[in-house]
Amino acid sequence: MRSAWIALFVISCALAAFSQSAPAGPQLSSADVQKLLDRISSLEQRVSELEAKQAASAAPAEQNATPAAAPVEQAQAAPVQQQQPPSIPVPPNSPATIENKTAKAPPTAETDVMAGMHTIYQPGEGEPYPNLKIRGFADIDFGANSSDRVNSGFTLGQFVLHFASALSPKISYFAEVSLTPTAGVYNVDLERTIIRYDVNDAAKISFGRYHTPINYWNTAFHHGAWLQTTIARPDMIVFGGRFIPVHFVGAQSEGFIPSGSLGLGYNLGIGNGRSTNIARPGDPGDVNNNRAWLANVFLRPPALKHFQIGGSVYNDEITMPTVDVGPQGQNFREWISSAHLVWTGETPEFYAEFANVHHRSIFTGQTFDSQGGYVQFAYRLPFNQRKWKPYYRYDYLQVPFDEPTLLDFTNVRKSTLGVRYDISDFAAFKAEYRNGRGNPLPQRTNAVAVQTAFTF
Amino acid sequence: MTLKRHLTIPLVSMLLLFATVVGAQAQTKSNDVAIIVNPSVPLSDLSLSEARTIFRGDRQYWSKDLPIVLLIRTPPSHERDVILKKLYAMTEAEFKQYWIAKIFRAEATTGPKIVYSNSMAAELVNILPGAIAFMAEKDVTPNLKVIKIDGKMPGEPGYPLR
Repeated sequence: MRSAWIALFVISCALAAFSQSAPAGPQLSSADVQKLLDRISSLEQRVSELEAKQAASAAPAEQNATPAAAPVEQAQAAPVQQQQPPSIPVPPNSPATIENKTAKAPPTAETDVMAGMHTIYQPGEGEPYPNLKIRGFADIDFGANSSDRVNSGFTLGQFVLHFASALSPKISYFAEVSLTPTAGVYNVDLERTIIRYDVNDAAKISFGRYHTPINYWNTAFHHGAWLQTTIARPDMIVFGGRFIPVHFVGAQSEGFIPSGSLGLGYNLGIGNGRSTNIARPGDPGDVNNNRAWLANVFLRPPALKHFQIGGSVYNDEITMPTVDVGPQGQNFREWISSAHLVWTGETPEFYAEFANVHHRSIFTGQTFDSQGGYVQFAYRLPFNQRKWKPYYRYDYLQVPFDEPTLLDFTNVRKSTLGVRYDISDFAAFKAEYRNGRGNPLPQRTNAVAVQTAFTF
Repeated sequence: MTLKRHLTIPLVSMLLLFATVVGAQAQTKSNDVAIIVNPSVPLSDLSLSEARTIFRGDRQYWSKDLPIVLLIRTPPSHERDVILKKLYAMTEAEFKQYWIAKIFRAEATTGPKIVYSNSMAAELVNILPGAIAFMAEKDVTPNLKVIKIDGKMPGEPGYPLR
């Protein structure tokens, strides 16, 4: 009998020696062993706690007592603990060890990933509706210009609130409200209000007020200065600008069409088009009986990760009853065609856009073509925790001097050289130097600007 | 005393044998990251590009009535590092900004859901219809539906998520 036990022991030792000779086995240091011992101690302590709890629950006198907080937490954690493997030795920096260090939250809770936008619910209860989430953006700026006609000083940027709420698994609502400081009063504007029904990935039908999806920057960064690398938007799509319509009121269908590795996406929209003040959309109604429509198609191949290329067309009829009736009349057909090429990675980051705005007088048939675009390059530097991102942008706008719908337009040729420093994951500091003509003055000027932008 | 000694030796031997066998099995598992889905998901194979579109939130539905529910591990974890590198091609900061921007652009109403451990991912992915998550291959249990990536299961040569 005794010899049998000895033989079993020898076989065990041989198996242990064989498994240790496998090349995949990590070498354990004394520190690793100490950590393993600590882990065993903690597990033993936990077993003791569970045994004590089991003994306590068996006692009839305690069955009617109010349960304490700690046992409740343990009871919630118990199902997960049971699924974990027994205490197999693992190196201290292995994924399993990291997991044990970070597994702190109750396993039945589930939250959104966005800080400040958490929704906690029990999986058995399903997603609560509506689940309103709010996020804010703000920025504070300082600017100085070499021209005496432009005052230097601080300015408050836009204070923007964004609302997102799922009303059901397929219906969602989005809104964006901005507060813009003007002389004496804040201008409050409902920048976007969109109710959307998701038929599937290929067809998401929505109604409301949008940022017109014929310009990449306009729909990628909206009013969140923190989201964009630079301090200011490109001149072709500045807020309040007249070159291309920033907003669009109507209906839209968008989505991704099954296209394999191409990543083909689209937007199709129909709406009111520009108002009599062509910098504004037709919020209260269309100014004529011709609806504007747009089509935007883009490719975002998943294999290329950060790459997107696309093009858009926009058609509208502009009516400008408030301007003096000149030789071209008050009504113009508008065709806008645009294209973009972007690489959204940060090493490097690249944006390039171009648009041609074609106007034809319905009265005389005379046509006017204006062009605008920009090229922006940035690169996230690898040192100092990747906090620094220098950038350069060139803006270009060219409008014929006799273009009747864009009178007194200032053409732009401008270079911007700057750097962005990310103070934290949610706040950034930017400083840039601008040299060129147009916006704000037609003659060439030098300017510097700094901004701190953040999200909350 | 003698009886206790006779019992202790075989008991220790058995435990040692068990630990050796389990340890040897564990050593055969790799550090691959497995993609797991709820049993309701009507797929068993994804290309790496399809996995990218799903985890980046560009594809949001498995089928017309089955939305995709993304479950993502909290940092720090090896699995999260692999997914951020191979599927998102982003750093932690870029990942946060990406989802804030995606919600801000009205392309999604919520970001991915957080899970704090592989066991929590395993539990939730089996509960939530349409859920997809990732975890270390060594922690995959038989009750989980593992998705092939580019036709390969975790642990096979050429598996892309490692």
